[in-house]
Amino acid sequence: MPESDPRPFHGMTVFCLHFLGGSGRGWRWVAERLPPTMRCTTVDVPGFGDASTASGYSVEEMAQCVMQTIRQARPARWMLVGHSMGAKLAAIVARHAEDGEPGLGGLEQLVLLAGSPPGPEPMQESQRRTMSGWFAGDDSSRRAEADGFVTQNIGSALHPERHALAVDDVLRAARPAWLAWLDGGSREDWADRVGVLRTPAMIVAGAEDGALGPDAQARFMAPHFAQHRLVTLDGARHLLPLERAEEVARLIVEQAGSVGSAEAAGSVASANAAAAVGETYWALLQSARVSSGTRAVLLARAEPDRAEAGPAALTAAQLATLHALMARVLPQAAGREIDLALRIDAALAEGSGDGWRFADLPSDADAYRAGLRTLDVAAGEVGFACLDAAAQDALLERAASGTFPVAASVGLLSPSQMKLWFEDVRFAAVRLYVAHPATLARIGYSGIAYGGDGPRKSGFVDFGIGRREPWEPLPRLPEPAP
Amino acid sequence: MKLDRMKRHGLDTVVDAVIVGTGAGGAPLLARLAQAGLAVVALEAGRNHDPNEFPADEVAASEIYWMAERLSAGETPEAFGGNNSGTGVGGSTLHWGAFCPRADQRDLELKTECGQGADWPVDYATLLPFYQEAEQFLGVSGPAEYPWDPDRHYPLPPVPRNASAQLMQSACDKLGVRATDAPAAVVSRDFEQADGPTRQACINCGYCHQGCRVGAKTSMDVTYLPVAVAAGAEIRAESFVHTIERDAAGQVCAVVYRQHGVDHRQRCRALFLCAGAIETPRLLLHNEIGNSSGQVGRNYMAHVATQVWGTFADEMRMNKGYPSSLISEDMTRPDGVDFVGGYLVQSLGVVPVTWASGVARGRLLWGQKLVDYIDRYNHVAGLGINGECLPQPGNFLELSDETDATGLRKPLVHFSYGPNERAIDRHAVALMTALWEAAGASDIWSLQRSAHTIGTCRMGTQRDSAVVDPVGRSFDIANLWICDNSVFPSSLAANPALTIMALSLRTAGAFLKNGV
Repeated sequence: MPESDPRPFHGMTVFCLHFLGGSGRGWRWVAERLPPTMRCTTVDVPGFGDASTASGYSVEEMAQCVMQTIRQARPARWMLVGHSMGAKLAAIVARHAEDGEPGLGGLEQLVLLAGSPPGPEPMQESQRRTMSGWFAGDDSSRRAEADGFVTQNIGSALHPERHALAVDDVLRAARPAWLAWLDGGSREDWADRVGVLRTPAMIVAGAEDGALGPDAQARFMAPHFAQHRLVTLDGARHLLPLERAEEVARLIVEQAGSVGSAEAAGSVASANAAAAVGETYWALLQSARVSSGTRAVLLARAEPDRAEAGPAALTAAQLATLHALMARVLPQAAGREIDLALRIDAALAEGSGDGWRFADLPSDADAYRAGLRTLDVAAGEVGFACLDAAAQDALLERAASGTFPVAASVGLLSPSQMKLWFEDVRFAAVRLYVAHPATLARIGYSGIAYGGDGPRKSGFVDFGIGRREPWEPLPRLPEPAP
Repeated sequence: MKLDRMKRHGLDTVVDAVIVGTGAGGAPLLARLAQAGLAVVALEAGRNHDPNEFPADEVAASEIYWMAERLSAGETPEAFGGNNSGTGVGGSTLHWGAFCPRADQRDLELKTECGQGADWPVDYATLLPFYQEAEQFLGVSGPAEYPWDPDRHYPLPPVPRNASAQLMQSACDKLGVRATDAPAAVVSRDFEQADGPTRQACINCGYCHQGCRVGAKTSMDVTYLPVAVAAGAEIRAESFVHTIERDAAGQVCAVVYRQHGVDHRQRCRALFLCAGAIETPRLLLHNEIGNSSGQVGRNYMAHVATQVWGTFADEMRMNKGYPSSLISEDMTRPDGVDFVGGYLVQSLGVVPVTWASGVARGRLLWGQKLVDYIDRYNHVAGLGINGECLPQPGNFLELSDETDATGLRKPLVHFSYGPNERAIDRHAVALMTALWEAAGASDIWSLQRSAHTIGTCRMGTQRDSAVVDPVGRSFDIANLWICDNSVFPSSLAANPALTIMALSLRTAGAFLKNGV
């Protein structure tokens, strides 16, 4: 049954989030078809269904409402299924969960049905205006509008019971909530905030859906999910849980079933991270001294680089030069190098920057392209990467002193620009290197472990010259000879 | 912070005041105005955070830094981004170091004293009650006796000293420099804060600059903002103000802000810009208002914030403990020097990414030498200063030709040290090097850097040479006020936040008396 069940439950909790005008009741036919190892919990967000008298219609407030339900349910394992408006909420909740917020651990999968994307919904203004005018009149006109709304959004006739329930739900919705979504929530731009999520997602579209059909899902939704699968339901339009309850239930079970492979992938990642930081630091990282948010950040960073994907901002040749440069700036032992060049390339592609740049340099990506080209020009025919280490270092000395032996020219950096750019390069490399848990382990850094998720953090009690608490890690390297 | 039960105002309501920014400038004001029964709305560009969620991670902490790109020009271009300007409900106080000395009386009258710099249109005696009030309210920890001001007493006992502070004390003792526990806006024991949750005693985690998880550090979201909300103020997060609208008489009548990609217009009777010395002038220049003096963006200043680092045989583990737990004000007016004004000295514990970033920029190391030096992190400790910066014509903020995601032009800041800043830097390097030699350090080096954003909307008594009057009111637009570090006529040697709060309380009083 969709409603909460007080018995302890060790299976997969499936949180289902309804569409604009819908409610938890609409998931009944999906819930009935889930196996006993899965339990459906629905959430009526403010203004809809059983919460039609509640206030708080902004996307933020609706998402908070969902998170409150999840925290109260304390599921061991859970997945989120969001339909239309509910899919936008699901993406935001997943972002909070991936950020390691307390009470949201254990999210395994997402299923997004005819979802409204995290960015503004691609809805036609005329449609928005029409819908904004509804439900202001008498009972019979309201009922006709609700019926029209349901009818417009289905590919073929619904079973009468489902149709009646859908119309009834639309009529239950608070009109201010309806308007708040049309004028506000659907326009809110959460794309940057949601970013790219790691949680595996299935993105489902009705082939006949207008604004949120397969094309829109591929264009607006899919880029937010690093691991996703697009599924199209032929003949269906927009009200997928009502139109295709059986198939939706099957897809949810199928997505939940891919947990096995996700767990396997997770354990491979964990094994890589564990190997990178070593046993002692790994144990510290997993201990209650480290907060779940800190752990999530560090584990994500410890994931191995995927060099096979190739560069995103630079050309392959530029990336090769950057690799050679990184090998001089921060030499690492062979075997488990952090691919600093690839990570810089990813940051350049993302364009996030570090909050400022030298006014004398072009944009970060252009500065890297020009700086790498300038290094190659100085190296002559062979290119910087093919010089021996001494020759590379000699050029870097010239870069650092502002006397780089290449004159200013179009597409190249001047000697004074090379000095600034090389400073930026060292800065970017060092940040990526030191922030990596393998480096923190290497230097024996204890700061990540000042307190976990409890109301009182342990902090540090023994500090000062020569003071070390018994649990604090030692460097992974032998101390250099005095 | 908890905002779920706060009072909300409609966009069509003409609220008594809109306050842009919720940091040290905006928050005390917001509390005061709400307590006086006014309808006030604060618009904050950043998110509302649950402090418990701050990770112990320096890169992830960019969440609380102002990361929209700024362009930095001049001979000593200032680094922005990380640990410079903040964002989020609480503004820069989410990441500030909580080191909170008061201004030195002489720094407020520098021009009178030596003919250089600028005088403030407000004297120490006027600021004093506001300093005292803020220190009591925030629960500032510090020494029972303050060597440079016998009348000063801090409400809470000092936080414990970390390794850097212990070293600095022993070195100062050897060289005859006075030093003591720093005034720190960090509660050294559990502290009941009005209208907010209990602030837990500092746990010595060392992550002040990445957001305090336990409420020990004073940030506005655990101090003034809960008071404001309890008194009826509304705080709208993720709301970036870009347009200031005026009525036929030229008075501000509304602001337009973007929240999640959608523009909203809030009507108001008065507007307070408290967005800091970059974003406040940027808003004025973008809207082309409040600048009949031509002084908006002028007089940009950044403190001389040189650091000296050394390596010690014993483990320092300088990430542990409150980072700046020792202070010396002996260099506020040192004898026999070739500069005016002076500087404060503090002990430094810095977390590793920030520290190594300074190494990468400031110490010309790369290759195996860099790797080896980073490996010594647990044995390194530092000293730093906060020194006077004089206003100069060549140092200013303007709008560049590039726009950012907001559609506004990016700020372009010109900043070069003059002879006075260079002289302070030299003097401080010599002093700190001597201190670290006395403490037994090896491999000593200095990092030249500047810190804080100051000036750009100077307050003064004359409308042709200042943007706002001595209480923060625009000379051009009677219902436009500014309260943040942009109004500082000179930099002061003291770190700015406590003085911003004192000015905020003072501006609130002036507004309630005359401005409404």
